[in-house]
Amino acid sequence: MTGLAAAAMAPLSMSPAALNLVLLLSAVLFGLGMIGFLIRRNMIIMFLCTELMFQGAALAMIAFGRMHMDLSGQVFVIFILTIAAAEAALALGLVVLLFRHRETLNAEAWSELRE
Amino acid sequence: MAPLLLYAICAAGAIGLYLMLRPGARSVKSIGALLGFAAVAYLGVRLALAADLSAGLGLRDFPFFVAIFAGVAVAAAGRMITHPRPVYCALYFVLVVVASAGLFLMLQAEFMAFALIIVYAGAILITYLFVLMLAQQAESEEDLRSLAEYDRVPREPATAVLVGLVLVAVLGDALFGRTAENTTRPGQPWPTVAVAEGVAREWAALDDMPRARNAVIEKLAPGYTEIVRNPMGDAITVRNGTAFVEIVTADGVQKTLELPDSARPGNTQRVGFVLVSSFPVSLELAGVILTMAMFGAVILARRQAELGDDRRRDAAARGPAGTLPNGSAEGGRP
Repeated sequence: MTGLAAAAMAPLSMSPAALNLVLLLSAVLFGLGMIGFLIRRNMIIMFLCTELMFQGAALAMIAFGRMHMDLSGQVFVIFILTIAAAEAALALGLVVLLFRHRETLNAEAWSELRE
Repeated sequence: MAPLLLYAICAAGAIGLYLMLRPGARSVKSIGALLGFAAVAYLGVRLALAADLSAGLGLRDFPFFVAIFAGVAVAAAGRMITHPRPVYCALYFVLVVVASAGLFLMLQAEFMAFALIIVYAGAILITYLFVLMLAQQAESEEDLRSLAEYDRVPREPATAVLVGLVLVAVLGDALFGRTAENTTRPGQPWPTVAVAEGVAREWAALDDMPRARNAVIEKLAPGYTEIVRNPMGDAITVRNGTAFVEIVTADGVQKTLELPDSARPGNTQRVGFVLVSSFPVSLELAGVILTMAMFGAVILARRQAELGDDRRRDAAARGPAGTLPNGSAEGGRP
């Protein structure tokens, strides 16, 4: 605990190598989210995969903010959370609406854009 | 790192993911999972070794915790996109969120770490679970074949994995490619300028929070009469990372106080301060977006209710033979 407190007191900048590690992780998360969005056919899971992409972006922002010792990165993650919450509310409302029409979560059931 | 090696590792990860997605024997899938995870882990370890570990990386307790959190995040993300049961996907995503909250802690973003767990894992994911349970048919525990066909069979796995491979390879090339080679070399001097600026900014934030500042000075020198401002108009002067403040004591003597490091505002205070002082318009816009989303959700739900009423009225007009008790596959068609 004292070690953590000392680290919090004496700020070290993050080396570019460490930044690269975290950025690589965020790129992998983003890539996995995109693959998931493409391969899943369940509408809810597709939206869940976009949340995974949000996670990757948020991680990159926090890492850059840490590197530059600037808090704007963290503040932007708050906005990402806001957008994610708004998206979840709208998307899930839409999914429930679509589910009541066709009784399926399959996105391909809606590949023809007609009633 | 040689670009060819990077591409090869990405390709190995992609092949692993493809094997996990292909419908087939369990052993093939486990081999795929192992291959994909090994590729990512190899890349991470190689990079960690290339970095100058002895000088520290500015990540707290770096090798152990960061490795664990990163590994858990990647593994859970991979399992999330390949798991056939939607509820398990949501739970694996919770694991991803918790792991990245841990990484946020390592990156000294304490407020965001806990906000992420509360908002993401606590609120958004629970909404997803609600909708999943609302929309999912009951299924038997053991038999995978009872799952809906669209959950079991992925759509175009080869193409999707190829697209993901290209994306990660390009991003990785931008990070570790030829142009980035000299910035990642070990022994590179630390970006100390950024640290000094960051510390100065933290002290300046305290200066802009008069209440907190005065409380600190009162604690150090009880009974002072006034704060002497420097020519810039600030109460706190920052020199070499430490902060000083000039005060006049009750006897009329001018005195220089050095503020302790613990007086620097914490992460939550500073995030709140930056949020309100630097991004007030964005903050308002975020509020507007949330309100609009709420209206949108209400309107979507309302139209559904009205449709239901209309249908019920139609059914009543048609007589008892044509009753449609609740929404059916015919619903919504004229």
